[in-house]
Order: sequence, then C-alpha cells, then structure tokens
Amino acid sequence: MKKEPFFWVTISCGFVIMAFILLPLIEMMTAPSFSILKETIKDKDVIRSIWLSIYSAGSAALISFLLGTPLAYLLARSDFQGKRLVESIIDLPIVIPHPVVGIAILSVAGKGHWLGKVFSELGIRIMGSVTGIIIVLTFVGLPFYINAAKSGFESISPRLEKVSRSLGASMVSTFFRITLPLAWRSMLVGIIMCSARAISEFGAVVIVAYHPMIAPVMIYERFEAYGLKYSQPVAVWLVSICLVLFLILRILTLRRPRET
Amino acid sequence: MQKKLILIFGLVLALFVFCRLSYAQGDGFVAKASCEPQGTLIIFHAGSLTIPFARMEKEFEARYPKIDIQREASGSQKAARKISELKKPCDIIASADYKVIDKLLIPNFAEFNIRFATNQMVLCYTDTSKYGNEITPHNWFEILLKKDIIWGHSDPNLDPCGYRSLMVLQLAEEHYKKPGLYERLLANRPQENIRPKSVELISLLQTGNMDYAWEYLSVAVQHGLKYIILPDEINLRDYRYDDRYAKAVVKVTGKQPGTFMDMKGRSITYGVTMVKNSPNHAGAVAFLKFMLDSQGGLKILQEMGQPPFLPSRVPNEKMKQSLPKELHSVVGVKK
Amino acid sequence: MIRIENLTIHLPGFNLRDINLTIDENEFFVLMGPTGAGKTVLIEAIAGLIPVAGGRIFIGNNDVSKLSPEKRDVSIVYQDYALFPHLTVQENITYGLHFHKIDRSEAEKRLACIIEILNLSHLQKRLPANLSGGEKQRVSLARALIVKPKILLLDEPLAALDPGFREELRHMIKRLHRNSNITFLMVTHDFAEALSLADQSAVMDKGRIEQAGSIEDIFQRPDSTFVADFVGMKNLFAARFRGTRAIIKKLEVELGRQPKNSNGYIAIRPEDIVLSEEALSSSMRNSFPGTVTRVFDLGFYYEVHIEVRNVIFKSLITKSSLFELKIIEGADIFLSFKSTAIHNF
Repeated sequence: MKKEPFFWVTISCGFVIMAFILLPLIEMMTAPSFSILKETIKDKDVIRSIWLSIYSAGSAALISFLLGTPLAYLLARSDFQGKRLVESIIDLPIVIPHPVVGIAILSVAGKGHWLGKVFSELGIRIMGSVTGIIIVLTFVGLPFYINAAKSGFESISPRLEKVSRSLGASMVSTFFRITLPLAWRSMLVGIIMCSARAISEFGAVVIVAYHPMIAPVMIYERFEAYGLKYSQPVAVWLVSICLVLFLILRILTLRRPRET
Repeated sequence: MQKKLILIFGLVLALFVFCRLSYAQGDGFVAKASCEPQGTLIIFHAGSLTIPFARMEKEFEARYPKIDIQREASGSQKAARKISELKKPCDIIASADYKVIDKLLIPNFAEFNIRFATNQMVLCYTDTSKYGNEITPHNWFEILLKKDIIWGHSDPNLDPCGYRSLMVLQLAEEHYKKPGLYERLLANRPQENIRPKSVELISLLQTGNMDYAWEYLSVAVQHGLKYIILPDEINLRDYRYDDRYAKAVVKVTGKQPGTFMDMKGRSITYGVTMVKNSPNHAGAVAFLKFMLDSQGGLKILQEMGQPPFLPSRVPNEKMKQSLPKELHSVVGVKK
Repeated sequence: MIRIENLTIHLPGFNLRDINLTIDENEFFVLMGPTGAGKTVLIEAIAGLIPVAGGRIFIGNNDVSKLSPEKRDVSIVYQDYALFPHLTVQENITYGLHFHKIDRSEAEKRLACIIEILNLSHLQKRLPANLSGGEKQRVSLARALIVKPKILLLDEPLAALDPGFREELRHMIKRLHRNSNITFLMVTHDFAEALSLADQSAVMDKGRIEQAGSIEDIFQRPDSTFVADFVGMKNLFAARFRGTRAIIKKLEVELGRQPKNSNGYIAIRPEDIVLSEEALSSSMRNSFPGTVTRVFDLGFYYEVHIEVRNVIFKSLITKSSLFELKIIEGADIFLSFKSTAIHNF
C-alpha cells in the first residue's frame, strides 16, 4: 500500500527533531579527548561540584515530593473557589525567567525582608549556601512534580476510594492502601521530571549562590574564563552522569507501563 | 493591477536594502575615517564603570545617532580574557586596573594604554548591616572579625576590586600593627562570600544578604551606600604612597589555567585602550575622543564621584606617538 | 432502619432538597427516577461519602449525619464494580476485614462462606482485569457483604451486564437479601428488576422525592403525572369527575368509584387495554369502538394507538394478536378495559 503524504510529513518532522536534539549534543560529547576527561574527573573541585548538583537536586525533589503530594491530591479530588488560581500560581515558577527567580528569592532571604530577618535570627544562611541552592531548586522543580502527581491521582477513579472508605478504611488508610499503590508511577515520573529540571538549573542559582558551585555554574565560569576547551569536559561528565542516573531510575521503575 | 503590485514590491525591496545598508552590522564592515561614526561599537568595561559608562553611552549616541554602543561589564581580568582567550569581538576595553591591560593584552591585542581615572577602596554597608551603628574608621577590622557577620569581596582572579580588597587588608595589618590580622580576616570570609563581579555585592548588601562589602568609593556613592573612609596609607588612593602600597602582593590566576601571576599593590588607576584589528576602528577612535575630553566623558566621571586625570595620560612619548592622531589632543604624557 | 429527615445537599450544579424517607429494617428498597434525579447522590449521602448541607440521617436509632463513612457500616456496590485493580480477587474481598478487627479464624470462615455462595472459588488468585462482567460484579458483592454491613447500597449494579447474566444475578441478589438481615437499597432503571426485587420504592426527580410507597402502589397508583408517565402509564388523561364517571373531552368512562376531587387525571396501563374485532360481552365496564391511528413495532410487542372520540389510547399487544386482529392503520377496532384498571388521582 502506498504511504500517503501525511505519513511522510510526520516521519520527516521526526527526523528533523531527532537531528536537532542530537547533533549539538553529540558534537559536545565527542569534543574533549579521553585524557582531558580523565584529568577533569580527577579534579576535586569538579567532583565536588557534580556531587553538589546531584545532592541538591535530589533534596529539592524529595522536598517537592513531601510537600507537593498533599496539594496534588487536594487539587485532583476537590473543586473549590479559586482552584484555577491556585493551579496558575503553581505553574508560575515555570513561566518566570530564571534570573528573576534568583533575584526574588534573594530579596526575601536578606535582612531587608522580615522573613530574611527571621532566618538570620535562627542562624539560617541562604545566600551562598547549600540551603539557598536547595530552596531555589525546589522553587523551580515543584510545578513539575505537582502536575505529574495530580495527573496520576486524577486518573484513579474516586469510586475506588469511596468503596474503600465504606468498607471501614479511614482516609489515611485509603490513601496508602489504594491511592498510592495505583498512583506511584505518576509520582515517580514527577520526581524524575523535578530532579531533571533542578539539576539543570543555572540562572536562578548563580544569583543566589555562586559558591558553593553547582556543576552548571562551574561550566559557565570555566567557559567565561578560559573557553570551550576548559569547560566542555565538565559538561560531558555532568551530562553522562545524569543520563546514567535517569536511565537507571526509568528502567527500575517504569517497566510494564500498561498496568494502570 | 499587475504593474501596481510589481511597483509596490520593488519599493519595499528597495526600502529593505536601503535600511540594511545604512544599519550596517559591525562584522567586517569598516566605516571610513572621514564618515560620521556609525555601526555597532562593542565596549568591555569594569563593573565599577557601569553607571558612568551608561551615561557616556547615552550622550555619545545622542550626538551620533547612527552608532549603537553595546557594553559588557565584568571583572577586568575576565574582560581581558574574553578578548585574548575567547577571541570575542571588541572595540574598546576599559579596566579598573591599567596593569591588567599591560599584562594580559599588550602587545598582542593592544598597542597603547591610556590611564584616565583614579578611585579608592572603601568598606560599604547599609541600614540592615549588623553593628552598622558601631563601626568607625578605627574599629572596622574588629567588626569584620566578628563571627556573626557576613562580609565579602569580589573574585581576585576575575576582578581587580577583588585583589585590591585583599591588598587593603594586608596593608591594614601593617598599618595598625596587628600581626596575623590578614589571615584572621580571611578566615572569617568563607568562599561563599565571594562573587565574580564587585557590583554583585551591592545587591547582596541592599537585600540584607551581606553586612559589609569592599567596593570603590565611586560605586558606593553611585549606589547610595554607607561607607567607611580609610586612611590614605591603606586605601590605594594616593600615588604618593605607591611604595607603601607595593608591599601588598596577591597571587591571581594568569593567562592560562594553571598559571599564576603576582599583582603588586599600587594606587588605583583605570586604563583604557582600543583592541587591535577591532571591528569598528573609526567608531572606537571617535568614542575615545569623546570619553577623554575634559568636557565629555571625564566630566561625567567627575560628577559621579570618580576623580579623572585631567588630562588622561600615557607613560612616555613613544606610546603617545602610537595613538591615533585624533587622540593626541586629549592625552598627555606623565610617568 | 434508615430514616432521612429534611436532607439537603448542595453540589456544584445540582441540589438535593428536603428529602424525607423511611426505610424499614431488612427491607429491599428500590430507588428510581430519570438520569440526573439525584439517586446516586442520595445513596452516597447515606454512605457518608458526600457532605450534607442540612437535615439528618438516622441508621437504626443513631444520628449518623456527622459520622465518617468508615464508621457507618454501610457497604456500596457500584455499576462499574470499582474493584481494586492492583489486588487479587481474594485480596479485594478480604479488604474490609482488616478494618473490622476480625480474628483470623472468623475471617477465613467468612471468606469461605461468601466465596461458596457467590461461586468464586476458582477465581481467587486472579486480578480484576482478567474477569468477566458478571464475575466482577460477584466479587464486588462478596467484598461488600463479607463485612456484614447493616445496609447494602447498590447503584444500578446490573446495568453494565449482558442481559443473559442480568437475570441470573438478579436472582442471586434476591437470595442474598433473603438469607441475610441486611437492608438493601438499590437504584435501578429497569422496571422488571424493580418489580421483582422490591418491597418498597421511591421515585425521584430533580432532587426531590416524587412518590414513595409499595412497589405496586407506584406502578398501579401513581399520584402525579410525572410518576404516572415515568412508570409507563401511557394512557394519562386530564378528566372531570361526575359521580362515578370520568369525562375526558367528550368520552365518558366508568370508574366504579366516586373520586373525592372533581377535576384530576386518570391513568391506564397500556397492557390493561384489550383489543377485539367486535364488542366484548364481558365484565369490562368500558368498551368503545375506535380507529387504529398508528402502529409501532417495539421488537417483542407492538404499541397500537387507537382513537376513540378524539381521545388517543395506547395499547400493547403481541405480534400474534396483531395478525389475528388484522390491525393496520385505519382499521376499525374495539377497545375495552376494566374500571379496576383505571387509576384516578
């Protein structure tokens, strides 16, 4: 059977998009020599920087998971006045330009703001600290987790929960025995998206904390100071490590996607 | 009907070509020296020159509407490396330390170095700074040693203001006769309190994320910050104390990663030069003429709290001869 | 057993207003009404799954209006079965037992018992995705009954099943009700189901209860045009009453009793209208000559419209009767009905 033009158009677009994404990445990944890559990974600053990126992104994802799950559940199950507004607010961090996010957080974190004063009294430091980095990453990653978890909860019929309650289970028991086992895949996808977003954040972090240096900031600093040759190896290591981490996570957890 | 369409199309095309030609981009297009300055003019300058240069840009563009100035502010060493390492296109570079131009750009990327202004180091703070109502020119170093305050400076490897801050601290140890003061001060300033550009410290001060920061007096004035004026023996203002200043030495990264160079203390002197083989040579000359004019750029500097050299100067006659002839009238010779 | 007083519920786009209903212990109660009448809302309110704006709900002697669903001892079976997809049949059925503090041996006893009654022993280890509709519904019933609730709510439980299974399961539900002392409250659209299963019934429309009473009363003696129309009393006429006669336009019909009102309605079920080629000499007090105006093929039956003095009667006859009586549009025909078949209100 002759394939129609519609089919060819979709295939061509597919190829264009694959090329668009892969060409620059392949170029960058293959540019540094093996010896430079070896040297780079032995650099203590680089190791520290990549580890900080992974650790802070993971923390941001964990916080998003703990704080975001109840809200995602509420949004999935109930209808209330102003729900649209709340959903729009949750999406705000996606829309706001990254440096603006950094500046906004910095303004609240300093002693010029009442909240910043409270932090200062408590001895909590935000500017130039891991705490500050995690706060920024949580800010930008939250919407990704909440939206994914919300979708997951929405896909579970409320009747299942109603039956569970009629059989004697409290709301909490129902959530852990029925809702969670059925929604965990969506929540995991949300965590992965949130971490991915967090680990690649640059513009917001660099304003709040230049040191300690997360990997994207180090890559940028090295590029600005000494150029491609000095910064590419760090980029290659960061991308490789991230790819491996995410691949492992996906394989471990997303087998059999057809199971509801 | 057909003819009308062709006519309209032709007109639009002609208009497009005309606009394109008159708004020439800097790449490879060199304006003739006798023409009015036009095109794009790229200026890299020190962060501390941001506000005066913004005003200069406005006035210059008002005088020559065909020219479009694009400025990039950064630490001066970083700016120099953008030219020498990254080969970024640039017409003029103005540094907070003329020595940076000497060490990193001459002779491969620049031929001359015009010194045009001075400055001094001050310790800045705001209303929200801890111990702000106790600090004086006599006890500032004791305040900076306190564990519960946050104070910082810019990166010495990227910004002259950074190594100058360190020099002030070294000179203070000598001046106030407190051995070990320098090391103790550095111990109370973790790496998290360093930023690439000194101007970034201002927003940290203003939001209350930092209590004290080292800056140039001109910048403190321009941003309305409170500041402590230090004795001339340590504030790097006065060229007569150059011998004293020279006792402070700071090691910073050199031309290539892994190399280092020593910066010796010297009174703060700003330098400016044209980059060799720059995209807009004619425009650059015109701008320098305006900038170094005592009624032009130098006047703006004066008004903004940064004392200029009147006139600006090069160290010897030989260098003066290497300047474009249009600049001979505004540059003097002084060692 | 269940007493509902002035119940009011506000939902976005729908309101239940001033519901009053009493259901006796161990009764089989059927709730009917058009789609959107509020039947599901009402039963979910009894289960405590929907917040109540006003009024009270009593189960036994207890006011449960503020009690959370898990404490009410009310089980619910939905039309789409709502089986937990990640649990096996056995785990689904025994789910509720965890929360009722039943000891091991009692739990095993109950499981064995309910599995036997509902014929599920060969399915215990299966997941819901691998069950047929009928099997799913049996699991759903087992799950609901094993916790020995006081009330079992059924929301159109048979609607999604093949017609063949429907009858089988209907009999099973009747048996389950008889062999337990649980009050059953079922929502249905199917009149055959209602008539065969129910003791008492209520008809709802637009968030209110239109009529409640025994199932026969509802079907034979509706007290409003809405209910009459709903239960299929297709011959519904406005009438004036004089003595024991009802006058519809120019037609006079003998009721055999004197109504209390002088203006009202009469209603006759189409099945109660008998057609014949000639006038019947029988006990039927009402017999009229008429003309066939339309004939509708309804699959197993035919609905025949007959005009008698400008009044259109609708009758339901079998295919064979249609041929025997040679009924075609325009034919002359006699129709008769007993006065006892006439319901007036």
